[in-house]
Amino acid sequence: GTQVKDVVIKPDAPNTLLLDKHADYIAAYGSKKDDYEYTLSEYLRMSGIYWGLTVMDLMDQLHRMNRDEILEFIRSCQHECGGISASVGHDPHLLYTLSAVQILSLYDNLGSINVDKVVEYVKGLQQDDGSFAGDKWGEIDTRFSFCAVATLALLGRLESVNLEKAVEFVLSCMNFDGGFGCRPGSESHAGQIYCCTGFLSVTGQLHRVNADLLGWWLCERQLPSGGLNGRPEKLPDVCYSWWVLASLKIIGRIHWIDKAKLRTFILACQDEETGGFADRPGDMVDPFHTLFGVAGLSLLGDEQIKPVNPVFCMPEDVLQRIGLHPEGFLTSENMLEMSR
Amino acid sequence: MAESEEEVDVLVQRVMKDISNAFKKNPNIDEIGLIPCPEARCNRSPIVLVENKLGVESWCVKFLLPYVHNKLLLYRQRKLWLDREVLIDVTCTLLLLNPDFTTAWNVRKELLQCGLLSPEKDLYLGKLALTKFPKSPDTWIHRRWVLQQVQRECCPQGSERKEHASGHRGDSTPHSERLQRLLHEEIKVCSDAAGRYPSNYNAWSHRIWVLQNLAKGNLKVLHDELSSMSHWVSMHVSDHSGFHYRQFLLKALVTELSQGQNHPELACGRESPQLPLRTPAGSHSPPQSNGDGLASSSEDLHEATVPHLFHDEMELCTDLIETYPGHETLWCHRRHVFFLWHHWKQQQRRESGSIFLRPGDSCNDPLVEANGESANGQPMDVDGVSDRVKHGGYTQDSKRRKRGPEPPCPRLTAEHNFIDQTLATCRSPEQRRFATAYRKWLDSVIVLCVIAANSAEDLGIRGVSRSHHTLQELGTPHLTLSFSDLLTDTDGPS
Repeated sequence: GTQVKDVVIKPDAPNTLLLDKHADYIAAYGSKKDDYEYTLSEYLRMSGIYWGLTVMDLMDQLHRMNRDEILEFIRSCQHECGGISASVGHDPHLLYTLSAVQILSLYDNLGSINVDKVVEYVKGLQQDDGSFAGDKWGEIDTRFSFCAVATLALLGRLESVNLEKAVEFVLSCMNFDGGFGCRPGSESHAGQIYCCTGFLSVTGQLHRVNADLLGWWLCERQLPSGGLNGRPEKLPDVCYSWWVLASLKIIGRIHWIDKAKLRTFILACQDEETGGFADRPGDMVDPFHTLFGVAGLSLLGDEQIKPVNPVFCMPEDVLQRIGLHPEGFLTSENMLEMSR
Repeated sequence: MAESEEEVDVLVQRVMKDISNAFKKNPNIDEIGLIPCPEARCNRSPIVLVENKLGVESWCVKFLLPYVHNKLLLYRQRKLWLDREVLIDVTCTLLLLNPDFTTAWNVRKELLQCGLLSPEKDLYLGKLALTKFPKSPDTWIHRRWVLQQVQRECCPQGSERKEHASGHRGDSTPHSERLQRLLHEEIKVCSDAAGRYPSNYNAWSHRIWVLQNLAKGNLKVLHDELSSMSHWVSMHVSDHSGFHYRQFLLKALVTELSQGQNHPELACGRESPQLPLRTPAGSHSPPQSNGDGLASSSEDLHEATVPHLFHDEMELCTDLIETYPGHETLWCHRRHVFFLWHHWKQQQRRESGSIFLRPGDSCNDPLVEANGESANGQPMDVDGVSDRVKHGGYTQDSKRRKRGPEPPCPRLTAEHNFIDQTLATCRSPEQRRFATAYRKWLDSVIVLCVIAANSAEDLGIRGVSRSHHTLQELGTPHLTLSFSDLLTDTDGPS
């Protein structure tokens, strides 16, 4: 027989949510920075901070983080061109520009950077075909389309770019299975699907996806352990569990998977001693998987956690505060309405 | 080991020098790696060169990486000046240890733009980094940028890949040869990275990018790739990314071949020889006996028509599913191939004045089979006999005759038979689960796709809606509605 690529959840795996442990883990994470480890991950520092702060906010523990230090750090990462880099001395990129804008939104402090310059930067990265480059060197990816519109939406400046063309490009990356890849012709991938459905939600174009076909593909990501993978025959992973789950939520098909089993899988990825979540049960924890574990549990309805917004991966109350209502999540009801 | 700042400084300088000397000593280093070694051994360099392998002893990395990392960031903030040589060494060391350090690649882009670094050298560094970090997104991103630079250099102002006799800069090699070399090297790099990490999304999507950008519309390359991939996918039946690449090739080939068939004049002047519309019976050389049709030779494929391609692909897929039961990847592949076939078939029917299909062909339509009646009222062609007769004139080559009386094209009834047979004979629960899901997929996606197309025809808007039948058309509200209905009984597709 064939071995199914999946994990076995041990009977003694954690099965309750250890929120206090996770908060302690994140709060301590930044302070004990080994020189080598710190160096290795500095190229994505801004996103790292976003992961840590967002999960703290979802657990209502944001006050434990050093707000002033972080705001000052972000200010020092904005470049002349308006773009923001992962850390001081690194080059600006759309990925870290979005992370910075998300952090500033959590802190309700968008004024601490030059917003007009950010808008100018994002605008300058749009190409003739509607796609977005990640930085001035021109790499194209649907992830960057999401970063661009999510950044602009948080800044309330969505109309600054050519949305019609941007939508056209993202749709050109749709595949026969209803999913999306990084560029036209590329394989469907749960991370890219999250970006593309998120993009279509922000731009109000969710009716352009075939929710049933895509929902089908997304549901097939669930494995016997309850965990979700990101592509066929890959191992389940907490971060893919988030991307698949969030996409299903966005297209109104979250009820198509076995939520209880997924919850069991996510809880089993906790480390009872250190706090934090790993990609799979028994692996090393990190802030990235800790955010997506907690956010996933929130989407599954855990009431100890604040409700999370599936498009921005931020607490719903933050988006309400800045007046952003990414409506148009598809539900079975409004799909029927649209089809009439 | 408590090293003072000066000691670290001396150590790192020496190690960097050892690395650059290793490259000078052996320009054919083809792999890098970390040698687990917690302690320094007295007076021995942590850089080890054995044949073509360059190793770094792990104890030195914790000094080396922060040092070069900080040097480069100081340079980037204009707090420190580094000349070209040092900059090349620093970025090289840095990227071999941490290839996702975007800014270091960007510094090399600037060196390359100023002509201080050759594109080939830069691609070589990336290739080495990929031997240790085969997924590294930034290494792949940087490669695409470098390749675009070379392409721009070789064909300025979008002029096509024609040989310019005046190779500028005294370059004796024609540009097209340089691009050819790069193309083949790039495919090799992708293969290598795909072998080092299963379902390597970045490697395979890069390979697609390479074909789309360096070999656009090149039939020979597409054929060669399809041919070489047959063996690869047979050895990697769980690698969905590899199979997706195969689907990409198939789709690209079908597109190219269809253009050639429907517009023979387009085929002239293409890089490949004009394709015969029909393969004369018996003109093929016998297939290589080893793979039972798994590995068709490139030449064989060159004469293939679209139905041949699909037939061979389904046969390959059947072989693999039967040999390796319970692989989701193979069943996904089957869906995609059948979908592509179905889509192509519908397109052919719409093409007015098609010389490829004849009127009676419409009874090949999967919908017609599903409904049990053909479009012109004929009973459905259940066993595919009449189909064989119709196509026999151009599909009966030696290879096919050798294989026995199989229908030349995938058909919905044949797919259902395949599923029934699998369920009746296979005891693997996974295989049964995938077979059942495939049946449900056929019944929902393919049949509804045809219903949508045909109802448009019934309304007399054939010319309008059908000629624009795209993937997105699957998403029409009409279809979505029926699709949900089909799914409601089990509340999900599994």
